[in-house]
Amino acid sequence: MLKLMKLEWKKHRVNSYFKALVICIAAIFGSVALMAWTSISENEPLFPDYAAFMSLTNIFIRIVFIIFSSVLLSRLVIDEYRNKTIQLLFTYPLQRKKVIQAKLAIVFGFCFFSIIFATIIIHLLILLLNPMFPLFEAPARVGEMVASIPTTLLNAVMIAGISLIPLYFGMRKKSAPATITSAVLIGFLINANVSSEVASTSLFQFIAVPIVLCLVGLAIGYLSYYKLDKMDVA
Amino acid sequence: MESVIRISQLCKTYKGIETVSNVHMNIKKGEIYGFLGPNGAGKTTIMKMVLNLVKPTSGEITVLNERVLPNSYLYLKNIGSIIENPVFYEAVTAYDNIELHCEYVGYSRKGAVEEALEIVGLNHVGDKKIAEFSLGMKQRLGIARAIVTKPDILILDEPINGLDPLGIKDIRELLVRLKEQLGVTILISSHIVSEIESIADTIGVINRGRLLTEVKMDEIRKQHSHLEKYFLELIMGDDQHA
Repeated sequence: MLKLMKLEWKKHRVNSYFKALVICIAAIFGSVALMAWTSISENEPLFPDYAAFMSLTNIFIRIVFIIFSSVLLSRLVIDEYRNKTIQLLFTYPLQRKKVIQAKLAIVFGFCFFSIIFATIIIHLLILLLNPMFPLFEAPARVGEMVASIPTTLLNAVMIAGISLIPLYFGMRKKSAPATITSAVLIGFLINANVSSEVASTSLFQFIAVPIVLCLVGLAIGYLSYYKLDKMDVA
Repeated sequence: MESVIRISQLCKTYKGIETVSNVHMNIKKGEIYGFLGPNGAGKTTIMKMVLNLVKPTSGEITVLNERVLPNSYLYLKNIGSIIENPVFYEAVTAYDNIELHCEYVGYSRKGAVEEALEIVGLNHVGDKKIAEFSLGMKQRLGIARAIVTKPDILILDEPINGLDPLGIKDIRELLVRLKEQLGVTILISSHIVSEIESIADTIGVINRGRLLTEVKMDEIRKQHSHLEKYFLELIMGDDQHA
């Protein structure tokens, strides 16, 4: 399995996505930090503390990496069907389900680790920049960041699972645009905030919603290969 | 002589239409089997069924004494193939495409990729991306990929499509060399009847999903002057009968 993942990684030059990953992290932090910094300079702070700052940052992270994963899904799975290279892949002495599992594992893993990596980098940037360019009023504490680790891990797993849902839409017409469009819709739908003056909420905050969607994503991943041995490859 | 590919009572039905009907074929070890038939006759479907890309509705396929079941895959190690137009990974170079193929098959012999590229005359363009390749070059590269792991069986669906006369001659000589020197069994389909005539040991003629005949080339040479004449008579006779 690991060998197959390495081959898929090499074949699709997944390394080239690291540059895009860094740009995404910079864009996420840059946009939230800019909002925070300008609001502080206008004496109307948008974020009172670290938790509020990270609340918006996490929304951006979730949306961005659901979409990012759909691009990977398109490249690794949908394009193989669209370009008919899947025929070639299935003439190799390999179990078909292992091949697809390897591809999905890359997408799941890339999404999971990207979210963790992005969160760590943004935490480091907050610790580094907040004393010089205040982003929120209350000082950022390392303890708060450490305490958020379990939630970050759990969220990363759930988003990685959810990121497989666009596979269903993409595979119906073997279409990369359908995969990415559905990812955009899913990303915005589950992260869209409804707020009043005192509180705001999104679908992602109802724990049952991300859990169910994560399971749906994993089920779609499973369904994409469980019957593969019995199907014709067009 | 031992059969390398044995097909019996093979049928395939797509959406209620029988595209392959009760086909029996016997491909012997070390022979070149020319597979002839008009467009849509079922050649590619049968080749795909041998490769397990398409599942038979009924019937049996045996490759190297192993029955091909829906989940069979290990036997594919012994087969090199080109089905329809050869497809490649556009983002990587020609060399990397062949190297990746070797890695997927689990074949690791130093210099194998260079050797395969040299055989098909592409050694000087190994570092170029596929997007820069013409159809003929892609066809040659497809052949390089099919032969690089030195498989026992080659399944080549229209391998000389898009090749210039020199390329066709090169491939013809290569296939004969593979058969004679390495004992490779080759199942080849082509629209160019004269090419099949010059290299095949056995001919299978298929029309509307049915195998009309399986005959030794020597017999055709004895009884008819040309394969093309024999082939056309057979197909037209079958069409009139239908």
